Amino acid sequence: MTRPRRSLFMKYFVTLFVAVVAPLLLGSAVEAWFSFRDNRIDLNERLQVEARSAADRIQAFTDGIRDQLGWVVQFPWSQGEDDRHRIDGLRLLQQVPAIVSLSLVDPNGTERVFVSRVSMNRTGRGADMSADPAVLGARANKVWYGPVHYQRDSEPYMRIAVAGNRAAAGIVVADINLKLIWDIIARIKIGDTGHALVVDDSGRLIAHPDISLVLRSGAGAVDLNRLKSVVNAAEGSAVSTTGEDGKPVVALSVRAANVGWTVIAEQPVEEAFESIRAALWRSLMLIAIGIVFASGLAYWRACRMWGPIRQLEAGVERIGMGQLDHRITIQSHDELEQLAIRFNQMAEELAVSQQKSQRINRLKQFLAPQVAELVEHSDPRLLDGQRREVVAIFGDLRGFTAFTARAEPDAIMAVLREYYEAIGAVTARHEGTLIRFDGDGVMVLINAPVTCDKPAHRGIRLAIDMQAAVQSLASTWYADGCALGFGVGIAMGPATVGTLGYQGRLDYTAIGNVINLASRLCSLADDGQILVDPVVTEHVQDSIALASVGEQPIKGYDRDLEVFAVVRRYATTRRLGHPFVPGHARSAAAERDRTELQLAETDAD
Amino acid sequence: MACPAAAFAQDAARVYRIYWLSTQAQPDPFLEGFREGLRARGYVEGRNVVLELHYAIGNPQALREVATELRRGKVDLAVSSGPATRAMTTVAEVPVLFALSGDPVELGLVKSLGQPGGNFTGSTFLSLELAGKRVELLKEAFPNLRKLAVLSNANHPGEQSEWRATKEAAKKLGIAPLYVPFAGGNELDGALTLVGDAHADALLVFPDVLTMVHRKKITDFAIAHRLPSMFGWSEYCDAGGLLSYGANQRATYFWLATYADRILRGEKPAGLPVFQPTKFELIVNLRTAEQLGLDLDKSSILFRANRVIE
Repeated sequence: MTRPRRSLFMKYFVTLFVAVVAPLLLGSAVEAWFSFRDNRIDLNERLQVEARSAADRIQAFTDGIRDQLGWVVQFPWSQGEDDRHRIDGLRLLQQVPAIVSLSLVDPNGTERVFVSRVSMNRTGRGADMSADPAVLGARANKVWYGPVHYQRDSEPYMRIAVAGNRAAAGIVVADINLKLIWDIIARIKIGDTGHALVVDDSGRLIAHPDISLVLRSGAGAVDLNRLKSVVNAAEGSAVSTTGEDGKPVVALSVRAANVGWTVIAEQPVEEAFESIRAALWRSLMLIAIGIVFASGLAYWRACRMWGPIRQLEAGVERIGMGQLDHRITIQSHDELEQLAIRFNQMAEELAVSQQKSQRINRLKQFLAPQVAELVEHSDPRLLDGQRREVVAIFGDLRGFTAFTARAEPDAIMAVLREYYEAIGAVTARHEGTLIRFDGDGVMVLINAPVTCDKPAHRGIRLAIDMQAAVQSLASTWYADGCALGFGVGIAMGPATVGTLGYQGRLDYTAIGNVINLASRLCSLADDGQILVDPVVTEHVQDSIALASVGEQPIKGYDRDLEVFAVVRRYATTRRLGHPFVPGHARSAAAERDRTELQLAETDAD
Repeated sequence: MACPAAAFAQDAARVYRIYWLSTQAQPDPFLEGFREGLRARGYVEGRNVVLELHYAIGNPQALREVATELRRGKVDLAVSSGPATRAMTTVAEVPVLFALSGDPVELGLVKSLGQPGGNFTGSTFLSLELAGKRVELLKEAFPNLRKLAVLSNANHPGEQSEWRATKEAAKKLGIAPLYVPFAGGNELDGALTLVGDAHADALLVFPDVLTMVHRKKITDFAIAHRLPSMFGWSEYCDAGGLLSYGANQRATYFWLATYADRILRGEKPAGLPVFQPTKFELIVNLRTAEQLGLDLDKSSILFRANRVIE
C-alpha cells in the first residue's frame, strides 16, 4: 500500500496555521493602512496649523509696525514743527524695538526728520526722497513693503513706508531689523524637532530657528529656491522633500500675504512618521508572535489529530493481520477516543465471531449445513460436554472383509466413496450428526449436539432411509460382482456428548451404554436388517412396523434384551456368498424372514 | 536648535578645555556672563568643561606666549575678550571666539560678518557706529555741552576708528572734543588728571575692558569734577556714571556661550556668522544727575531710557 503524498498532519497543520495567521495579517495590514492615512492627515493638519500660525504672527508683526508708523503721519506738516515730529519719531523708536531708524518725509518728498538707534539723528530739510521707491510706493498704495536686504551681507533688513491719510501728512519710511521675527519663528516647534522658516520671493532666508543660517544667507550661502518651489507646488498640502539641512522632511507652505513671503513648516520625516513606524513595528511584532503562536497551536492541534489517527491506522493494520487481541488506547476525551472504543469493541466482536466461525467449521464436520447455520446463532456451549438423551445409529457393510481381500484397491476405494456419499446424503437430509466413518462402518447421532423433536422417529427414519440407500447401492455392486450387504443398529438412551481431542484435532463424540448397544445391535443385524432397542421401539412403534426378534444377550448388559427389527418393505434381491451373521442371531433372522411379508403392509412411511 | 542634553549623551565622558584670554583683571564681569551661558547650555565646570583663565592685564603682548601654547596644547576653544583678540590673530589651529567693540572685518579676523570663513567668529558691539550716537545723547541731556573730554584706551583694537567717528559727530554738533588717550592701567591716573585739568563740560569714555575695570574710579572722578559722563555699557552707570548707551555686555557674553557650545559640538567657526546686538540700552542714573545738579526732566532722554537708576 502506498502512503498518500500529503499527510493529514500537514493538512491540519497548514489549515490551522493559515486560519490563525491570515486574519492576523489582514487585520494588521488594514490597521497599518488606516493608521498611515490618519497620520498623514494629522501631519498635514498639524503643519498647516503651525505654518498658518507663523504666517499670522508675521503678518501681525508687520501689521503692528504699519499701524504704529501710522501714528506719526496723522498730522499735516507745518512750519517749525520739525522738533515735534522728531519727538514722535523718538517715541516710536522707543515703542517698536524692530524699527532701527525712520525718516519722516514731507508732502514734497523731502526728508525732514531722521531718527535712529545707531546713527545720529537729523532734523531739518534733508535729502530729496521723492524718487525713492518707498515714497512712491507709499504714495500709490498707502503702505509699501520693501524687499529684504542684508546689511553688511548679514543682518536681514526691510523698509516699510506708510503714507498719511491726507497727502499733507507726509510719509514715514522705517528701516526694520527682521532679526526680531526670529523670536516668532524660534518659538514654533513642530513635534520635537520640526520647525518653521520664512523665505522671501527670491528664495532667501528671512527667518529660521537657527539665526546663524539667516545671517549667512546675506552672503548667498543658503539657497532655498528649490525647497520653496517644491513646497509651493504642493499647494498647501504636505510634501516629502529634502530640507534646507539636507535631511528628508515633510514640509508645507503658507503665504504671508501682505509681505509676499512664504512660511514653510517642516518636520523631519523620521519624526513625522514616527508613530506610523511604531504602529508598523507593533503590527510586525504582533504578526511574529501570532506566527509563533499559530505554528505552535497548529502543530499541537495537528499532533492531537494525527497521533490518534496513526494509532487507529496501526491498529487496523494489526487487526487486519489477525491480531484480534490488539487494543487501541486513546485518551483524547473526544470523538477520537469514542472511535477507538468502538474500534476495540469491533475487534472484540470480530474475535468472538471468528471463534464462532471456527466452531461452526468444526461442527460442519458432523452436521448438515443447515444445522451448522442453526448452531451459529445458538448457544456457543452446544459442543461442551453434557449428558443427554441421544439416538445412536450404527451401520456396517457385510462381506466387506472378504471383498477387500479379493478386490483391487481402486475398486475398494470406489465402493467406499459411493457408500460414504450415500450415507452422508441421508444423514444430511435427516439432520443427523455424522460422528465418524470407520472403514465400512458408520456412526450417526440424533439429538446431539442439536436437539430435535422426536429423535426416535427421526432416527428410525434415517436408519430406514440409510438401509434403503445402501441396499440400492448394494444392488449395483452385486451386478458388478461384489457381494456386499448392510446392517443397521439403532438405540436410544442417555449418553455423554462433547468434543474430545487435543488442539487441532477435535472430535465430537458420545460415550455411554446406548452407543455400545447400538454398535452391538449393528453387529447382530443381518444384511438389510435394522435392529432396534426397546427404547426406540417404544417411541416409534405407533408409526413404524417393528417386529420383535427375541431377547438377545448383549455385552455389558446383565440380562438379555428384547431386540426388534424394522419390518422390511422390500426383499433382498441377492444372496450373500457365505453366511456372515453370527450364530446366535441366526434364529432371529429366520424369524424376521418369516414375518417380513406380513409386516410389509404396515410400513406406512 | 541646540540640544545640549543630546550632545552630552554622545560625549558624556569628554571634558572640554576652553582658554579664556583677557587683558582685564579679575573679577571679570564678562567671564561671569560667559559662565552663566555655559551653565544654561548644560555645561558644568570641572565635569565636562574646564576653563583655563589667562590674564595679562593691560598687556596684550604677554598673551602672545599663550597663543603659542594654544597651538601646541590640546585646547578645544579659545575665547578672547577685547584687546586680547589682537594677540590671537596668528592662531589658526584652534577656533577662537571674540567679543569686540570694533569691526572684525576691518581687523582682518573674518572675511565678512555673514560668513567669517576662518577659525574666528564671535560678536561685535558696533561701538564704532554708536560712538557718534553717544555724543548726540550727551548733548541732548546736557544741551550746553561745548567741550568734551574723550578718555580712551589706546591699546583697544579699533580705538582710532572710534575716535574718528566721535570727532566727526562732535564737529556736527558744534562740540570741541578733547582726546585723552592712555595705554595700560598705570597711565590711567595721569590721563584722569589731564581730563581734570582740561575744564571740559562733560566726559565721554570709550567702552573698553580697562575703563570697565576702573569704572568706579572714573565715575567717582567725573562726579568729583562735576562732569556729566557718557559710557558704552550699563555697568558704568551702575558704578555711578550718568549715561550709558550700548549693547548689553552680559547678554552678549551669555550668548557667546551658545557659539561655544556649537563649536564644541563640531560646527566650524567659518560658518557661524558674527553676531551683532539688536538691542541698545540707554541707562540714566538720576542719582548722579542729582549730585551733578542736572535737571533731565525737560530733555527727551528720560522717556527714551531703557532703565533709570533712581
